[in-house]
Amino acid sequence: MPILASDLERDSALTLSQAAIGCEFQIREVEGPACRQLRDIGFCEQMRVKKLTNGRNMLCTVCGTKLALSKDLANQIRVVPA
Amino acid sequence: MSESSIQARIALVGNPNAGKTTLFNSLTGQNQKVGNYTGATVSRKSGTFLTPHGHQFELIDLPGAYSLQPNSPDEKITRDVLVGEQEGEAPPDLVLCVLDACHLERQLYLLLQIIDLGHPVVAALNKMDSAEGQGLRIDPTALSEDFGVPFVPICSATGRGITQLKHALRHPFPRPPGRLWKGPAELEEAIGKSTRASEEAGACHPVADGLMNVAKTGSETEKLIQKIRFEYIHRAIEAGLQRPDEAALELTDRIDAHALHPFRGWAIFASLMLAVFWSIFRFAEIPMGWVEGAFEWLSGTVSGAIGEGDFQSLIVDGVIAGVGGVLVFLPQIVLLFFFISLLESSGYMARAAYLMDGIMNKVGLSGKSFLPLLSGYACAIPGIMATRTIPNAKERLATILILPWTSCTARLPVYVLIIPLIFAGAFNQGLALFGIYALGTLTALIAAKILKPRLGQTEAPQFLLELPPYQKPQWGHVFRQVWERAFAFIKKAGTVILGLSIILWFLNTYPKSESEDPTVQQEQSFNGRIGQAMEPVVAPLGWDDRMGTAMMASFAAREVFRSSLAISYATDEEDGEALRDQLVASTRDNGAPLYTPLVGLSIIVFFIYALQCLPTTVVVRRETGSWKWALGQLTGMTLFAYLAALLVYQGGKLLGYS
Repeated sequence: MPILASDLERDSALTLSQAAIGCEFQIREVEGPACRQLRDIGFCEQMRVKKLTNGRNMLCTVCGTKLALSKDLANQIRVVPA
Repeated sequence: MSESSIQARIALVGNPNAGKTTLFNSLTGQNQKVGNYTGATVSRKSGTFLTPHGHQFELIDLPGAYSLQPNSPDEKITRDVLVGEQEGEAPPDLVLCVLDACHLERQLYLLLQIIDLGHPVVAALNKMDSAEGQGLRIDPTALSEDFGVPFVPICSATGRGITQLKHALRHPFPRPPGRLWKGPAELEEAIGKSTRASEEAGACHPVADGLMNVAKTGSETEKLIQKIRFEYIHRAIEAGLQRPDEAALELTDRIDAHALHPFRGWAIFASLMLAVFWSIFRFAEIPMGWVEGAFEWLSGTVSGAIGEGDFQSLIVDGVIAGVGGVLVFLPQIVLLFFFISLLESSGYMARAAYLMDGIMNKVGLSGKSFLPLLSGYACAIPGIMATRTIPNAKERLATILILPWTSCTARLPVYVLIIPLIFAGAFNQGLALFGIYALGTLTALIAAKILKPRLGQTEAPQFLLELPPYQKPQWGHVFRQVWERAFAFIKKAGTVILGLSIILWFLNTYPKSESEDPTVQQEQSFNGRIGQAMEPVVAPLGWDDRMGTAMMASFAAREVFRSSLAISYATDEEDGEALRDQLVASTRDNGAPLYTPLVGLSIIVFFIYALQCLPTTVVVRRETGSWKWALGQLTGMTLFAYLAALLVYQGGKLLGYS
């Protein structure tokens, strides 16, 4: 991918807490202190995630599993529209 | 069967909620053994089973884990056993990996990690019925080809596929497929170099060791390996799994729309809890009557068969009154455990943890602390053990320290004895019991709020929880759990409480007085003397010497309070009235009734807060690794209980209550 296109894609990525409810996203990057724990439970690059609710603890589905995660953790996941 | 006839050891591994325990029970049946791992409090559950080929295998149930990079002490055991680093435990000959077919993609990560270790592996695709119900189409053959290990579709709850699974566990085991994925040249070179170094160092599993050492070299490498594994899974799943249209709103989502709602969710949670407590009072009455009747009959029969004297008194007033006084609460304990298991098995408990996270966060804990606290309502010991799932050490310590304030079932016999002295009617009594549990919980949370900042600085707890789909309760699992707890209670009644009842009877009967008057005899006895010595301490709480003695005895085990009173009052028993009637009839020296509602309240408050359970103190010592925390907790809670009961009684008197 050309550098500009890659940069544009990275810049258009949102954190999971910023993402809209009811939409499906693809995980672009998982970065932060809890990234290993997040990847272990299924939040890994390329995976599809659907956000279900907002709030201090938000709900989403990854690979068909419903998960609840705090805003701090959701901020460590960057997603792009699927 | 003897240990020597075991031909191989199989480790059972899987993500939490994958149905590992149900599969373990289906495979091993009654042939189970529970122990501890060397140097750890994590219990080691193992069992044996026979395959259709006549081979006997030992199955070891390892704690649930999402990956082999441990995030909690439980997960560390799983990793250490699999890599052969667990003291006193040889690496398994085969790994049986349980995968929840409904969440296959996410669970294959653990399988891939295990394959990387170089073990022979068999994958059990569990909950196939639910997956098919959700419209998922899984192709075990395609998955077997991609992962190089047999995939056996099963449903451990119904027993479907268990025979085929046993067939797949054929001895000798298949060769391990080895690492399936390939990384970029640089990574492969690093892995090769590291593997050779491990070989030279004489490692048992140089390939696995080499890979793990490379992953440890930096977070970027670890991240890269994780990414390559997920990409491999992604490709494999395209052939092996077909998803249904997501148009249909699943039942779980429909229920969750209410159960996780900020208002309706709480209403459902409170109603469920209230219904549980009401049911405990309402439905336990009938079987309690049977148990009471059986003990009365036994008492009468034994009295008739044995001539009057000390031996008859020992059996009737000591053993039967003491043990019977505690066993009568078995139906209530069975009901409480039944409801807890039911809520757990149906998937509701995780929702309760999600709801509670908001409250827990306000006191410095997270929703992860809720499940151990909830187990504490059954018994503090498994609750304290369950704190091992909390990754943050400070949060874990705070949870352990406040946990005994969630009222355990050992307190139930005392509450059930005393509540009817204060309130009439099953609804009011149920409400009072709910209030008792709420008060204990509320105080525990306030204590956490005060304690947590004093335990030192720590990062804010993170909340990450899987919400499994709702499912019909697995009745086999529910009844097994209830049976295990009921059996433990009966065993305790037959051992500890029996022993203490005999000691209490002895202390109550000797030394003998010249007088025939039972009151004088009671005063003369060791118990009477201890009670008189204790009286100045307990009198400000509104208690008499017999209650003081019973309270002292209950520090060994709370249920003994009931037995001790039963044994004390058996001396002036006239026509086999129930203990409660005797309490109502008992008076102070000035003729005023002794067990007034205020005294009842003072007893209840004392029992809500006092830590009268030596095994709990021992377990806290083991889990925290220090007597400082265990003894500090014991002293602090006892003092608090005394002061709270004092405040209730003296405050109540000042307000004009008697």
